[in-house]
Amino acid sequence: MDHRHAISELISRSCMTLDEKKFADYLALCDEAYRYRITAYSPEIRKEMTWLEHDRAGMQSLFGSLPRHNSDQSPLTRHVTVYTVSEDAAAQQAEVISALQVFRTSLDGGVTELFAVGRLYDKISLAGDAPRLLDRNVRLQTRMLGYGYHIPF
Amino acid sequence: MSRNSTQWNQRPDFPDTHFVSTEIYTNEQIFREEQAKVFGTCWIIACHESELENAYDYRTFNHPAGAPLIVIRGEDKTVRSFYNICPHRGNTLLYEPVGNAKRITCIFHAWSFNAKGDCIDISREKQGYQDRFSCDKAGLREVKTSIGYGGFVWVNVDDDCCSLQDYIGDAMSSLDENLNMPLEVFHYHQAVVNTNYKLWHDTNSEFYHDYMHYFNRITGMIQPGYFDRKYTGFPNGHASVGSMAIKYDAYEGSKERGVGWPGLAPGGWVLIDIFPGMTYNLRTSVLRMDTAIPLGPNKLLIEFRGLGLKSDTPEQRAERVRDHNQIWGPFGRNLHEDLLGVHGQGLAMRDRTDSKWVIHGREENMTIHDEGGMRHFYAEWGRRMGRKAHDPLTAEEASAQV
Repeated sequence: MDHRHAISELISRSCMTLDEKKFADYLALCDEAYRYRITAYSPEIRKEMTWLEHDRAGMQSLFGSLPRHNSDQSPLTRHVTVYTVSEDAAAQQAEVISALQVFRTSLDGGVTELFAVGRLYDKISLAGDAPRLLDRNVRLQTRMLGYGYHIPF
Repeated sequence: MSRNSTQWNQRPDFPDTHFVSTEIYTNEQIFREEQAKVFGTCWIIACHESELENAYDYRTFNHPAGAPLIVIRGEDKTVRSFYNICPHRGNTLLYEPVGNAKRITCIFHAWSFNAKGDCIDISREKQGYQDRFSCDKAGLREVKTSIGYGGFVWVNVDDDCCSLQDYIGDAMSSLDENLNMPLEVFHYHQAVVNTNYKLWHDTNSEFYHDYMHYFNRITGMIQPGYFDRKYTGFPNGHASVGSMAIKYDAYEGSKERGVGWPGLAPGGWVLIDIFPGMTYNLRTSVLRMDTAIPLGPNKLLIEFRGLGLKSDTPEQRAERVRDHNQIWGPFGRNLHEDLLGVHGQGLAMRDRTDSKWVIHGREENMTIHDEGGMRHFYAEWGRRMGRKAHDPLTAEEASAQV
């Protein structure tokens, strides 16, 4: 499997595992040094904003605490399209830009609505047997998320 | 024992002050009246001064009484507010939420205004209006504006209103020492929820709902001092809640807050509700400000701001951002739960669901699970509306509620 194909599959799997709430499987795709962020730009205050930021351990504890919280249980469907893959052979890394759309489907009636759009800015480690997520910035264009959500995109 | 229809509709066995009719959350006529009698007369936060740093910086703001506003800093550094409505053909003057405009020019027919609201140019004025009409009759409608209480920009669309200081009175006294330095907004987002604005303010006025928040239960409710926090009511419907030391490291993945806030004890938490829909929420390292902007009886826009100190180092700011996001960001542990709660109320109380009453009956010597904060709010609401919150559709004037 060439690198681009493997990288695309890794990014797709990261979305599928979150969609299916298989958080251990999601973390298995991540390097030990994994960092995750959700960011957005606010034109209202003319500032970059960080809405969520965790390392791998932080993601693990976030997932672990979910059953203790009251959360919207509507399933999300993350649709991702890999746009560009830039490989740095010397660093054994790749930088990947993907388009992201997130849809929310109501449990009662199954209406699906577009929840958010943005991009994934990923850094991928190519050092091991299989590519691993090293860094992810979920860059949201959508800033109006209604009553929000407990599970990261 | 479950109840039949008659029992369900019977007025609760509490004093009039200790429950409200859900009509106040659903009735269109009441909502229109609130826009005039409550939002049309009260001081409302439009933005923060840090959003208007330079001369001619502006923010637009949709005032909950109805008028779209421009809030703009003049060359003299004074912040003024005007209707965002061209006096010519009623067009929107400024379309973007933020910008810098030395000259505000309507895109429709190029009438121009300065940052003091003066009309400074009417295109082909003499040819069209001869001597019958001129710039001096075409100024923008100015709205009273005042800056205070942490650098927030307050507006009041009532020309005959009292001063901001008289409106707030002593309600902000518990934060006096914490807000006397320049602040800066680092977080802003909006949420639209199908609920009534008072239900959101209620959620900010009672802590009994900490049962909904695992984070608050583990870091607050089971910790010493939690049940000692007291409500204090102030004139004009404002209320404050005293501080306690939150044990942040009791939540897995969290840790004790290091950066803190000037004048606030480590782990401290002070909350002040300003009538009719603004809340100062200062927890350890972050000030959160909610501004409720009702869009209809069952539709609410909330503006959420997170603030730190203008003097923050990058490291301090990063820590405040992390502290903020853990509970209050759009993916935070608490905000999502609070919003789900009022969304659920909106679902259950929407018009013709046969919801009937909301009970504010807890009495615990005005400590943290007492529902006196809400009772205090509805006493002021009744006074301003001339209606009784427990029986709002009865024609007689509201009696004073205590």
